[in-house]
Amino acid sequence: MATDRIPGSIQAMPGTGVIHDIGYQSYEGRRLGRLAIVTALCLHSLRSAFGFGRGVKAKIVPALTFVIMCAPAVINAVAMALNHDHARLVSYDTYVGTLRVLVTLVFVAAQAPELVARDLRSRVLPLYFARPIRRSDYPTAKYAAFVLACLAMIDLPVLLLYIGTILQVHGGSEVWAQTRAAVPGLLVGLMWAVLLAAVGLALASVSGRRAFSTGSVAIFLFLTWTLVGVLSRISVTSSGGSSASGPGGVVRVTGAAHLFGLVSPFTVLDGVRQWLGGTSPGIVSAPGRYGVAYGVMLLVFLGASLAGFFLRYARTDVG
Amino acid sequence: MSVLLNPVVLRITLRAALGRKRALVFALVPTVLLGITVLLKLVAHSPVWPAEFLGVFGFSVVLPLTSLIIGTSVLGAEIDDGSIVHLLATPVSRLGVVISKFAAAVILTILFGAIPEFLAGAIAKGFGDRLTIGLLAGALLASVAYNALFVMLSLLTTRAIAVGLLYLLVWEGLLGNLIGGVRVLSIGQYSVGVANSIAHTSALNSHLTARTAIIMAVAVTLATLAVAVRRLSSFALKGESV
Amino acid sequence: MNAIEENAIELRHVSRWYGNVVAVNDVSMTVGPGITGLLGPNGAGKTTLLTMMAGFLAPSRGELTVAGQPSWRHPGVFRLLGLVPERDSVYAFLTGLDFVRSTAKLHRLADPDAAARRAIGIVNMADAQDRRISTYSKGMRQRIKVAAALVHDPRILLLDEPFNGMDPRQRLVMMDLFERMAQEGRTIVFSSHILEEVERMSGTIQVIVGGRLAASGDFRAIRRLMTSRPHVFLVRSSADRALGAALIGRPAVSGVELTPRGLQVRTSDFGTFTREIAGLCKDGGIALREVRPSDESLESVFSYLVAT
Repeated sequence: MATDRIPGSIQAMPGTGVIHDIGYQSYEGRRLGRLAIVTALCLHSLRSAFGFGRGVKAKIVPALTFVIMCAPAVINAVAMALNHDHARLVSYDTYVGTLRVLVTLVFVAAQAPELVARDLRSRVLPLYFARPIRRSDYPTAKYAAFVLACLAMIDLPVLLLYIGTILQVHGGSEVWAQTRAAVPGLLVGLMWAVLLAAVGLALASVSGRRAFSTGSVAIFLFLTWTLVGVLSRISVTSSGGSSASGPGGVVRVTGAAHLFGLVSPFTVLDGVRQWLGGTSPGIVSAPGRYGVAYGVMLLVFLGASLAGFFLRYARTDVG
Repeated sequence: MSVLLNPVVLRITLRAALGRKRALVFALVPTVLLGITVLLKLVAHSPVWPAEFLGVFGFSVVLPLTSLIIGTSVLGAEIDDGSIVHLLATPVSRLGVVISKFAAAVILTILFGAIPEFLAGAIAKGFGDRLTIGLLAGALLASVAYNALFVMLSLLTTRAIAVGLLYLLVWEGLLGNLIGGVRVLSIGQYSVGVANSIAHTSALNSHLTARTAIIMAVAVTLATLAVAVRRLSSFALKGESV
Repeated sequence: MNAIEENAIELRHVSRWYGNVVAVNDVSMTVGPGITGLLGPNGAGKTTLLTMMAGFLAPSRGELTVAGQPSWRHPGVFRLLGLVPERDSVYAFLTGLDFVRSTAKLHRLADPDAAARRAIGIVNMADAQDRRISTYSKGMRQRIKVAAALVHDPRILLLDEPFNGMDPRQRLVMMDLFERMAQEGRTIVFSSHILEEVERMSGTIQVIVGGRLAASGDFRAIRRLMTSRPHVFLVRSSADRALGAALIGRPAVSGVELTPRGLQVRTSDFGTFTREIAGLCKDGGIALREVRPSDESLESVFSYLVAT
């Protein structure tokens, strides 16, 4: 130490400087790689999609939507118990069509911004990208997380339905039949999660303001959904059929009116389900020979959303 | 200067909403409405399409969503970024602030929701038609009641738009179609009820009489605004919002 | 009435907590005309205290009055009070003049335009007043916020970290403004965590540490307390106990403690100690391995004040 003649001051003598060794040590240990970073980011995002790690208020909307989604499963179990012929009210692959659409819509619109808007608003993206990851790793982690979140939101109620049903049926063959029926339902849920997570994140990442993001997602999904319903009803009544009540009622349409369903991601998903062989009546009428168009539209929605989302973070001036 | 309406607050709020690119988002929904109305006018054969389309699309999408986005942001945006302090650090009456913000929201919603709905009705059936007048009346009522609710929500939670969406889709949309009692507490039903009392068409799917609708709408508006004023009077700055 | 007006802001056993976290802990103080600086490390509770004074937060316990009335839920208090918050939040789409003039109108001033221009003149923003606030630098935004807080000629001005984002020259100008206003009999309260910012100021300091009022009074007196505070060193040698025994006999050393990490020595005279320890070691045949100061941070500086 270089101080030996200092009259009661705590500064170094004028003209000299000293760097004190206060024991700083650099880290020489093992460093986890890119995969660990992406996994950690994914897990963190998954938790924030349900409001974990934030205050109580952040959990209200996810909790409410999940409870409402599970309600048909619970009601079905109760109804089956009361009504002894064990007929299942709710089907695995469509669940309760309109309810699933609306509740999933709220979840995606409310929670997609939780994953992406906060980072944009508080400008922490440069901190993320200063780590040894690629640009595309961030959106990959976010997308994976949100797909898992939506999957939980959609398929856990289906699982609940399945469990509630097999608890009430007797005989191994019945259980097996239920299982065989449930699996396509779960896969449909996966399809929903994959598409809606992409659409939700793509729209939510446009703005850093959470309210704006929620508004954009809500407008797109709800507007298109209601539009399809109304236009289908109108084309039915104009061709002399009877209209169902509510925008999500089962409707039989003819001809080119099938194409209305291409406008909304929800009806596209249901159209693809029916095209792939799903037989339960859903939220859109069977596409028939337009099935291919629905398949293509699904890929278009998915591709455009993912492209938009990934490109958003590829810009050098992001954050 | 009247105690209720504060022109400074009104002016700043309107400028904040209209002066930026954000206003384009407001214009998106009415544009779709008008565009599809024109298209349907050209191709549709059924005589009942205006009531079906404008009724459902107008009162389920256009008015609710427009009110949601506008109503939650007139106060919500300023609370979110902290600039509300500059407004509240003055002796301006909190009642005046709420009323003025509410008035701005109603004006904007009429501009981007009620008037396009009216114009769409006029395109479909002409200005003097019963449906067109009915749609305008319902839309005006919706603008008032929805915005009162959403302004209150923006003072109760930072996630007002998500909660508002939950209300619109699950309460009004889902439950309103399943459970009859819910309809009495649904602003969408009030607006449809008033519209139907003038237009008299079953396509509007109305379940309430005009009297019930108006009374309930007024009650909801007054109650929610009262809560809003109470909350604003006790507004606490808690630092950065989470 | 005059006596109450003099004691512009009074706090009596004010506490504020959020769940388990106590942000302000039993603070009592009287703030009168002149400049008062709230000093303390980040997170000490300065902003919470200012927010409560400004009527934007209610105390969990205790009484807080401004000119005799509680500021919470009394919008009328803003006739006397101007607030400059810390957050960089302002109506960015308005011009500077527009913003200050609107504030003047909200205060129901008779001639809002003249008042606005005067306030803008005081902060030297006249040449930028017709530009949108979104084009302002951080320092300019601070100044326009100050102008808006001054426009109604308040007798009390509360500022939260007003020197954030200001360069030294602007800081001096702002301090000058505060001094002038204080001489007119106004009450100025501002918060800061940087001692050097308030070096030259002529008023009272209130030191807040961990939510508690740690010290009050004249800045220079407190500064003296800090430099003459005991220093703490960690000494490692070949014979700690013997060295400790030798050290405690020296007047410069006020305390010696044997710890597993070494000898902890408290000294009130840093210079003498450092001179003497080498000699002591040589005389006693002790090998000195390490002499390390253990309290350089501002936190420990402030905590001495708490102990005092």
